[in-house]
Amino acid sequence: MPVQVYSLYIFDRHTECIYSKQWFQPAAPAPSALPSTASDQHRPANGTDPAITAVEQPPPAKPRRNKGGDDAKLIFGTVFSLRNMVRKLGGDDDAFISFRTAQYKLHYYETPTNLRFALLTEPGALSMRNVLHQIYINLWVEYVVKNPLSPVEHKGGEGVRNEMFELGLDKFIRGLM
Amino acid sequence: MSNLQAPRGGGKEESGLRYPTNGKTIYHRPLNRAKAAELSGASFAYLFSEMVSYASKKIESIQDLEKRSMDPSFTHKTPYLTRFIASARLNVQGHPIGLKLLDLLLYREPARTQTRPLTIITLLHFIKINVWQHLFGQVADGLEKSSDPSKPDEYMIIDNEPLVNRYISVPRDMSQLNCAAYVAGIIEGVCDGSAFPARVTAHSVGKQEEGEMWPGRTVFLVKFAPEVMERESFLGKG
Amino acid sequence: MSASKAARSDLLNDGRIWKGRVDKVNAELVVLTYGTIVAQLCKDFDSDYLQVNKQLDKMGYNIGLRLIEDYLAKSNTMRRCSNFRETADMLAKVGFKIFLNITPMVTNWTSDNKQFSLVFEENPLADFVELPDDGRAQDELWYSNIFCGVLRGALEMVQMQVEAHFISDVLRGNDTTEMRVSLIRYIDDELPPEDD
Repeated sequence: MPVQVYSLYIFDRHTECIYSKQWFQPAAPAPSALPSTASDQHRPANGTDPAITAVEQPPPAKPRRNKGGDDAKLIFGTVFSLRNMVRKLGGDDDAFISFRTAQYKLHYYETPTNLRFALLTEPGALSMRNVLHQIYINLWVEYVVKNPLSPVEHKGGEGVRNEMFELGLDKFIRGLM
Repeated sequence: MSNLQAPRGGGKEESGLRYPTNGKTIYHRPLNRAKAAELSGASFAYLFSEMVSYASKKIESIQDLEKRSMDPSFTHKTPYLTRFIASARLNVQGHPIGLKLLDLLLYREPARTQTRPLTIITLLHFIKINVWQHLFGQVADGLEKSSDPSKPDEYMIIDNEPLVNRYISVPRDMSQLNCAAYVAGIIEGVCDGSAFPARVTAHSVGKQEEGEMWPGRTVFLVKFAPEVMERESFLGKG
Repeated sequence: MSASKAARSDLLNDGRIWKGRVDKVNAELVVLTYGTIVAQLCKDFDSDYLQVNKQLDKMGYNIGLRLIEDYLAKSNTMRRCSNFRETADMLAKVGFKIFLNITPMVTNWTSDNKQFSLVFEENPLADFVELPDDGRAQDELWYSNIFCGVLRGALEMVQMQVEAHFISDVLRGNDTTEMRVSLIRYIDDELPPEDD
């Protein structure tokens, strides 16, 4: 079943965004930082909005070229807070999986090495956890980790933007759409 | 650092080395025991990449010393020099392995063919088939004599996808040359050990165009010493 | 996608590349390469074996930082071990098995479950190795010290700070090869920088 994928963000253990890619710009100008109603977490929530304090709304006059960086920061703040809250409520084993708004659905995947993936798709998408898992195993580990040229710490995204990783990722995602 | 002095074991060797109490030394183990053993490719890849980065890193500190003492015209050549020295180091590191492999592989051959290769062609075939098969699990992809008539001492061993380049994602970069230099050193060791002194260098000839079948194609250029060619022609006549 | 680009991408997806010939290598290549590394270090540091040990540990650390993700991918476990005992078991039974095809034994737990020993029945890296007979190597060099670094780096990436060192080695004439691993502390998650 084809799924419309909007974008992918990868954050490292130092909370920095080391990779982002957009395939499709959704109709709305910028994804809303605060999740609205439907929130699927692993444990059924009590209907309360997660208290997100670390996220700020971008001022509308921000220049366009910083939009990507701001989005990444927003997204990270959101998922990080949600993940911490889920762990506090459900214990260390619990995991935040995704949330959905009217415009998009954000799927979250975290590895034990604190590498975090956030995938934005159309709201009607089913669970993309397996997709993210595949991206991690078959693309990230193969082409970034195993590449002796790429450094271990990807400060500023260094070492991630290599040809094989990007090609493979692009092909994989386009194969889903 | 704790120092556990084991009691002197069964080995009453004059060497003065201590051995475990069961007296087992490496000489007790059959040489063919590990012949078909396999390990995860990742183990080799990580070890090798550390080797490469160690070789490059050490040079930078020497490079700093050299920069200070040498004239300014050298500084712009520094990256090239680094790459060159790194390749040379890897080549040197591969050399003793080639020597050891030669003995090991000949030992494992059936008794009839246990003599070392006596002509250039047999030697190159030995490398192409036995050495490659042993190290990389498959034979090399090609063996050619240089078509240049002014260079009769040059031969080429071709590998379309060298194992050492497997995980290198950025082509035509310093690392690719380095990795192949290691294999070149191994080949050189095998040649030197068989009394065919040679210089072996690695060249990547894979093009990065669309539709290129073998972007990692590497050619190992084997240039034999003049006395080898002389001997070969002498043997040919006799 | 143009036809040639598709062809190239198909090459990337070729099972041969992901699962085929390059997944396994001849063990002797690995062993010989490691031997070269140690020999080179001994030469570079002028047989200062303590320095060689440190350098091996450092190299192992760099390897461990990468190896952990490879381990996670290959072992297909995406959850962290719940305690240190489970970590030790996974290390011995899965980790070493995947990369070196050996399963060291986990023994000698301390009562607070923070320290254990790994006993290696066989050490593939030390196949056919004999330490130099210069009177010092057997007392000072830990040939397989790279393992300590690998463990340290790999566990640090999953937020455990550990210390590892060898306490005996058959290459030194001891009866067993044993490494002692201790958990120092769990490392906290890094927080995003505060927005001002």
